[in-house]
Amino acid sequence: MYIGIDVGGTFTDAVLLDNDGVRATAKVATRDDLLSSLLDVLDKVMDNISGHKIKRVVLSTTMITNLILENKYDPVGLILIPGPGVSHNNFMYNADTKIISGAIDYRGREIAPLKKNEIAEVANDLAEKKYKKAAVIGKFSPRNKSHEVEVAKILEEFYPGWNIELGHRVTGQLNYPRRIISTMLTCASKEKYKYFINSVLNALEKRDIDASVFMLKADGGTVPIKNSADGPVETIFSGPAASTVGVQALTSAGETEVVVDIGGTTTDLALILNGQPLISSQGASIKNYITHVRTLSVRSVAVGGDSKIECSGEQIVVCPRREGQPYCLGGPSPTPTDALRFLGLTELGDKSKAEKAMEMIGGITGRSSEEAAEKVKDLVVDTITREIQDMFYKWEQEPAYRVWEVLQRSKEKPNIVIGVGGGAAGFIKQIAFRLDASPLIPQYAPVANAIGAAVSMPILQVTLRADTEQGYYSIEEEGLQYKIKDQKFSEGEAVDLACEFLDKKANANSFNMGQNEIEVIRRETFNMVRGFVTTGKIYDICVQTPRKLLGRFGEKGGGK
Amino acid sequence: MQSRTGLIFFPAFDWAISKTHPEREERLLYTRDQIFEEGIMDLPGVEEYTPRVSDFHDIARVHFCIPSVRSQVTEAHLIASGAALQLGDAVMSGEIKNGFALVRPPGHHAMKVVHGNRGFCNINNEAILVDYLRSKYGLKKIAIVDSDVHHGDGTQNIFYHDPDVLYISFHQDGRTLFPGTGFTNELGGPQAYGTTLNIPLPPGMCDETMDNVVSNLVLPVLEDFQPELIINSAGQDNHYSDPLANMRFTSKGYGRFTEKLKPDIAVLEGGYGIEGALPYVNLAIILALTGFDYSYVSEPDYDPELFKEKKENVNNVQQTIEYIRKTWDNRYNIDLNKIFGSEKYYKRRKSIFYDTDFINEEQVEKVKRCTNCSGYNEIESKIRDDVKVYCVSIPFYACGSCRDQAYEGYYRAKALKQYDYVFLQDKYNDVCLYFNNESSIEEYTEG
Ligand SMILES: [Zn+2]
Ligand SMILES: [Zn+2]
Repeated sequence: MYIGIDVGGTFTDAVLLDNDGVRATAKVATRDDLLSSLLDVLDKVMDNISGHKIKRVVLSTTMITNLILENKYDPVGLILIPGPGVSHNNFMYNADTKIISGAIDYRGREIAPLKKNEIAEVANDLAEKKYKKAAVIGKFSPRNKSHEVEVAKILEEFYPGWNIELGHRVTGQLNYPRRIISTMLTCASKEKYKYFINSVLNALEKRDIDASVFMLKADGGTVPIKNSADGPVETIFSGPAASTVGVQALTSAGETEVVVDIGGTTTDLALILNGQPLISSQGASIKNYITHVRTLSVRSVAVGGDSKIECSGEQIVVCPRREGQPYCLGGPSPTPTDALRFLGLTELGDKSKAEKAMEMIGGITGRSSEEAAEKVKDLVVDTITREIQDMFYKWEQEPAYRVWEVLQRSKEKPNIVIGVGGGAAGFIKQIAFRLDASPLIPQYAPVANAIGAAVSMPILQVTLRADTEQGYYSIEEEGLQYKIKDQKFSEGEAVDLACEFLDKKANANSFNMGQNEIEVIRRETFNMVRGFVTTGKIYDICVQTPRKLLGRFGEKGGGK
Repeated sequence: MQSRTGLIFFPAFDWAISKTHPEREERLLYTRDQIFEEGIMDLPGVEEYTPRVSDFHDIARVHFCIPSVRSQVTEAHLIASGAALQLGDAVMSGEIKNGFALVRPPGHHAMKVVHGNRGFCNINNEAILVDYLRSKYGLKKIAIVDSDVHHGDGTQNIFYHDPDVLYISFHQDGRTLFPGTGFTNELGGPQAYGTTLNIPLPPGMCDETMDNVVSNLVLPVLEDFQPELIINSAGQDNHYSDPLANMRFTSKGYGRFTEKLKPDIAVLEGGYGIEGALPYVNLAIILALTGFDYSYVSEPDYDPELFKEKKENVNNVQQTIEYIRKTWDNRYNIDLNKIFGSEKYYKRRKSIFYDTDFINEEQVEKVKRCTNCSGYNEIESKIRDDVKVYCVSIPFYACGSCRDQAYEGYYRAKALKQYDYVFLQDKYNDVCLYFNNESSIEEYTEG
């Protein structure tokens, strides 16, 4: 049996699954004492089942996201080695930032050396200000880590015991500003994240659960909880990923569908294209800072069941904010929920109050109550439908860098519109009708997030970049750089090597994968020609494990 | 919203002329690394677009492709020119204030008639953009400023008789570099005298010269001409590290140039210093277009000591600038009959060499010296005795009699049966006709 737990800011949800489907679900309030909330939800969902029967536990959480949003993390000193390029005045972060000499170019060649006395000065200054954490990030460090490593060595010499995080260890992807943010957040949240992990392990031990334990990442893949401590930022935004993967598990494979999660003030939209959730081309962003973290493409629209409705003249406007509960639930003013209640599309709240609310709107705008309710419903449906269409449009507009990519662009449209969240019932049919798709509200929609966590599997990727002229290759995801021994290193060998790394990674993540299941996502060779003579090759190889789910409990979409 | 800059980065990582040709897959690889590592696409105000594919008609509106558009262009060409059109639409709709199409393959050596590849170019991305904008949005006056080290003989050729398109090019002197043209006396035909301006520069000139040319010639002329749109053929082979040329401009110099010119749309042209130049020059251009500080951009091997201009060369450039400036100021007072004769039709013969494909083309070009419009334009072209072509082109604001005469020319050439292909470009009605003599099939495209 498997357990999925989603630790949200307000509620902690859990589900217990076996191969036949959902066995139990539970929801408790998230308390400051994380351990007690976890024990509470485990007891509810397990209901006297022995802990030894649980084979696998996956957690998702918004804890790190909330820490960052609330600025509840220890200060980190930033030591940057940007070299030439974008103005250094661009590196303005909410942190003590020191810029030091040194530079590496795009092929990993040193173009300016470090200055040791500068590093010592910076270290002393941070120490004086009582910093104990420092993040060191150099431009192009994924191509050559030596500057970052050298700076760390000097810092450790002066101030042993400091918590030092290096950019190339956090991500091997190119994008210096994202790497700075990711490294800083990793450094800042590591300790707090360890507290989370310890609470989880502690709770599981107390209930005799000796299963393998995983964390859900923002891209909907999982990572063993112990490995996740190195990169806690990977877990930010695992919340939306959990519900999207959950919905994926609750519908049949291979569909193109849109997940519409209608809440009180916002509606979250996610796309599943041919059975796979859409990954965002941008990294996850938080507080307007973009990180390197691969994330599912989720769009938040400022409209929900509790949105305030304003009238002026004949105009009815659904405002992007909430003033309180819907009128039918004792709130101050009319909301879309009142319109649904009036139209009999929800059982929530008091019917007569909803009638009153629609009368108010109708009175001001010169409509009957019936017309007012229909209009409000249409406005909400309009907004959400437009955003869904725009999401598909934006997806079609994603940048392409190769001829075949531009030519292969195809238009996709959703077959199924899936509703989750409190407000879904009243709107999904209409939205689906507009999009010429089938509506579906899965049975376990309210705990789709925990189901998503439970069925998630690792998605492992290895990107290998080799430069035979410089004589090294790097593995982007691990921040590792190795020497190439053989000058005649071929593209085939590069692919084999990437697969080998992926295999190792799969083993380390307890992921069983058949050798021929590896997908080669990209294999490219660039001939380096200098003076019309080929002097070397650059290989760019990306391989990935197949995206799988542990189980599916799919229902077919309803009729149109 | 008006403050956004649109970028299309299309490195065509799966297209090359040949494996070791300078115009190959690797060309924008390091530029990509630099742009991605700097996080350019995340900068506030930068909007990344994906290119679209141009229509054959977009190309036929500009070029006479022989034997057909399909035979002359690959998908990569359609995408590179499509990128320019995409940004053109975004500028016209007000979505962005300016844009940069960082695309390959380049195009500024491609002329009106296309028999093959010249100077790494088959079709002219900027010209396709200009005529697209004129036909779709009714723009009238457009300026193209070419900052590639090579003379943009293709662009010059396409607009040589068009008084509404101002073409200004500064480049390394044609006596020392391909394509061997772009001298100060190439000023446009009798119907468009002065709307082609060339500033040949002696080898070895540095940023100061680029600055001088822009400030004291390009900007004042643009101010006079009042174009509705400025396009920059943003070649980067004036850079000191370029292996194919001998100028000494730096990335900062390109940044300053872009900042002063303020082009609405820049389109990448040449530039083969793929390691030493392109990553830095492209970065500087993008930063200048977005309004960000480019003063921190510099090449690793930049040493200010090595950038001193020869005094005699500086004087020489100064004279060129003054001469061109004077010519521009006097362009309406010059007796054109003295230069072009007094015939009703101006006629010239040209030999054109396609360096990549080793083709020699012989052309006779004829322009009507119409007093009501810029005059229709005929070209007879042949390669050895193999292929003989007749082309006729009606300008955007053609008068009725020029339109009639051009159609007569087309039907006469068709009936003659001695041309392998007969073409008509009617920019006035946005229609192109194409006749294949051997198969007797006539095709047409329209916008
Ligand atoms: Zn050039
Ligand atoms: Zn005329």
